[in-house]
Amino acid sequence: MSTDDINDDLTRRTENAPQELLTRAFFFLCAALSVVTTVSIVVLLVTEAAKFFSITAPLMDVTGATASLVDFLTGTNWIINNEQFGVLALVSVTVLITFGSAVIALPLGVATAIYLSEYASSRARGVLKPALEVLAGVPTVVYGFFALVYITPALEVFLPSIGTFNLLSASIVVGVMIIPMVASISEDAMSAVPEDLRQAGYGMGATKFDVSTGIVVPAALSGIFSSFILALSRAIGETMAVTIAAGAQARFLNPIGVGRIAGIPVPYPDLSVYLEGGLPMTAAMVNLLTGDITGGGLAYRSLFAIGLVLFVITLVMNIISDIVAQRYREEY
Amino acid sequence: MATDTDSRVIEGFGQVSRTVGTLFRYLLLASTLFGIVMLGVLLLYVANDAIQPLTADPGWHLTFLCTFVLPSLAVGGYLYRRNRPAFRLGGSLVGALAVSLMFAGGASIVFVDILDPMVWFSYVVGFALAGLGVLAIERRSHSIPFSVRFVAAIAVVGVSLLVVPNLLIDLPYALIGWAVIAYTVGGVVAAALGRYVYRSRGPRKAIVAAGGVLLAVAALALAGPLVGVDPLPASIVAAVSLVPVCSYAGVAAFDRPKARVGLVFAAVVVGGAFLGAAVADLAGFAGPESWVNWSFLTNAHSGTAADAGLYPAIGGSILLMVTVAALSFPLGVGAAVYLEEYAPDNRFTRFIDINISNLAGVPSVVYGLLGLGVFVTYAGRAMGTVLVGGATLSLLILPIVIISSREAIRSVPEEMRQASYGMGATRWQTVKNVVLPRAFPGIMTGTILALGRAIGETAPLIMIGAPNVAFSLPTELTSKVSAMPLQVYAWAGLFASEEFYRQAVPAGVVVLLVVLLSMNSVAIVLRNRYEDGN
Repeated sequence: MSTDDINDDLTRRTENAPQELLTRAFFFLCAALSVVTTVSIVVLLVTEAAKFFSITAPLMDVTGATASLVDFLTGTNWIINNEQFGVLALVSVTVLITFGSAVIALPLGVATAIYLSEYASSRARGVLKPALEVLAGVPTVVYGFFALVYITPALEVFLPSIGTFNLLSASIVVGVMIIPMVASISEDAMSAVPEDLRQAGYGMGATKFDVSTGIVVPAALSGIFSSFILALSRAIGETMAVTIAAGAQARFLNPIGVGRIAGIPVPYPDLSVYLEGGLPMTAAMVNLLTGDITGGGLAYRSLFAIGLVLFVITLVMNIISDIVAQRYREEY
Repeated sequence: MATDTDSRVIEGFGQVSRTVGTLFRYLLLASTLFGIVMLGVLLLYVANDAIQPLTADPGWHLTFLCTFVLPSLAVGGYLYRRNRPAFRLGGSLVGALAVSLMFAGGASIVFVDILDPMVWFSYVVGFALAGLGVLAIERRSHSIPFSVRFVAAIAVVGVSLLVVPNLLIDLPYALIGWAVIAYTVGGVVAAALGRYVYRSRGPRKAIVAAGGVLLAVAALALAGPLVGVDPLPASIVAAVSLVPVCSYAGVAAFDRPKARVGLVFAAVVVGGAFLGAAVADLAGFAGPESWVNWSFLTNAHSGTAADAGLYPAIGGSILLMVTVAALSFPLGVGAAVYLEEYAPDNRFTRFIDINISNLAGVPSVVYGLLGLGVFVTYAGRAMGTVLVGGATLSLLILPIVIISSREAIRSVPEEMRQASYGMGATRWQTVKNVVLPRAFPGIMTGTILALGRAIGETAPLIMIGAPNVAFSLPTELTSKVSAMPLQVYAWAGLFASEEFYRQAVPAGVVVLLVVLLSMNSVAIVLRNRYEDGN
């Protein structure tokens, strides 16, 4: 008891001094701004999209043209002048480009991560890591220009039937763009694998190859998967590169062809769709705004409907990536 | 069971294949290099299209090879092997000169076409008075209660910012533009150098050094017209670039005798470039027909690719960058300080935490929609203005600024905080005097990288309705703004033609990339120094 009395005499509570409260409130408001941002994104997208669909429009007191929710989610025609809003036409192209970029970026990204974390000397790392950062730092509009003006003509040498606007070149540049993301997050996960595990492997007579593929990669698997999902969500949201490289004609591209073997229909992956152009979701939004749309009209609201689809997809992927990284993390 | 395993292992013993390991290693290296090499090749292509080095005279190439490339390589190579600190000093001088010249160019655009130097001067004086007033009040902090001090400080700031600038602008006489720059920017350089010299050599030499800086800026501004530069841009180039770099060189020459030789390296590089240009000019060798030339940098958009220029877009990007920095730096650092230093470990904090990492993954078009919906449709601001664009881009990079600032703050050793608390400091005093100064280089690195991201963004600007093509510079925060990447997109997408693909777009891409890469390299150099320092 007596020490407490002495404390009270000697110390002044500074925690609630006006200066402290003021600064604390300012910092708190800064942090709370991020919550406000998220809430406004969600509220804005949901209310504007609600005005777009005929089911929900009466709730928002909107009269005038609306679009059917079922047609939006299942339709495969995106023709604004006919008021045909089938988002699958856009989603199919987005999925194709994302898949194409994943084929490039995921293996290369993981290989880069293994090289940087296991093989590279510290000097090589000092050169390679900033170079990879540059890869991620080049503006996407520049990547789009590269795809259109340099990569497509180069591809034309091998694939003469390729269009001026095509999904292949868009997939390649988006893939290159997301390599650093896969590499850096995977490398962090691999570097977090304790040295003891590696040494134990070497003690058992394993080679460096065995240790890398048999110990480090499995131990870092949760980090690697979460990097995959994050990078793919980035590829889905990628805008300018695909707007420039993939073209502006909205159409549903079906990558599953049906061949017939002895009269029986057999599905096969039809890769020729990559040679054609299409309109991914993000590019559709940009095109809506570069064309002249009337403020408040149906086309304006369709923008928010696509935005909502895009936001939900990327949000779900980010959350899954978080969960994978948290739940399946090996604790050492 | 156990014996089975044993026998298998023993059979395989000694049959380790080296080939697989080697193959794997080179496969990994090849994958690592794939993207980098591909980007390198594409950059070479675009640089070739934009600068067209092959159109120059062979004599021009030979001249520069002899005066610039070979001497620089020789001196640089020698120093790199024999005297590494000198090599670093020389290299950083050349780098600082290049980056600061670019910065001076940007500042010249601002002061010549956007901001009247007199307005700048009046606000600088206003801010200086406000700062001095607050400092004076803070000095007497023990005798006056906090609330009184706080109100007094707000009053002083308000008076100096609302009254003083208007008084100054309305003064009957007007200062000349270049003199304003010489006083304000040159004054900062003079104060910095003077302070450094004061610490090492005492007050008398400090006054001489500071006075020398001011005189040098004024002299260079007056000498500008002799080489065909107006006094105003000349004073900016002198105050932002030449004088600070020369002061740095001078200080290094006095204080670091071992690295002094590095000055020769810098002199050889800079002198070689000038000598080459002079010789090529005298001998009549034609340089390359580069599309990135003076008229490209100073013209507005035009329907023909050869006349098209980037000037309004460059000015727009600068204004956007200033707005974004002013908004996102305090907010981002504030949020990072709260989360690292103040936040209790409860559910709300964890929610903010997850929320920020998710915001970092939201596509940039969605931020554009946010800007369009909230700032334009609901708040009723005009489409595509500097303010709306800057606010939207700030929201976009805020998560990045917060995440990198948090990392920088987290790397401040816990012992330093505890020592500060042990001295009786409050939390705010600890943050202000210990944490923030220590984390500052890391925060700056993250902010510069995030600003680079903001400069390269196009999609949000399109969404908020920024004009694809602007013919004049934005002059205030509410005027419409274009930006470099937006202009490049307009040329590549809307004016799509062979002519633009071969001329204007590569030139625009090269300018954009030079700006971005130099920002990134400044950030990386800053980070390396900071890591060395720790």
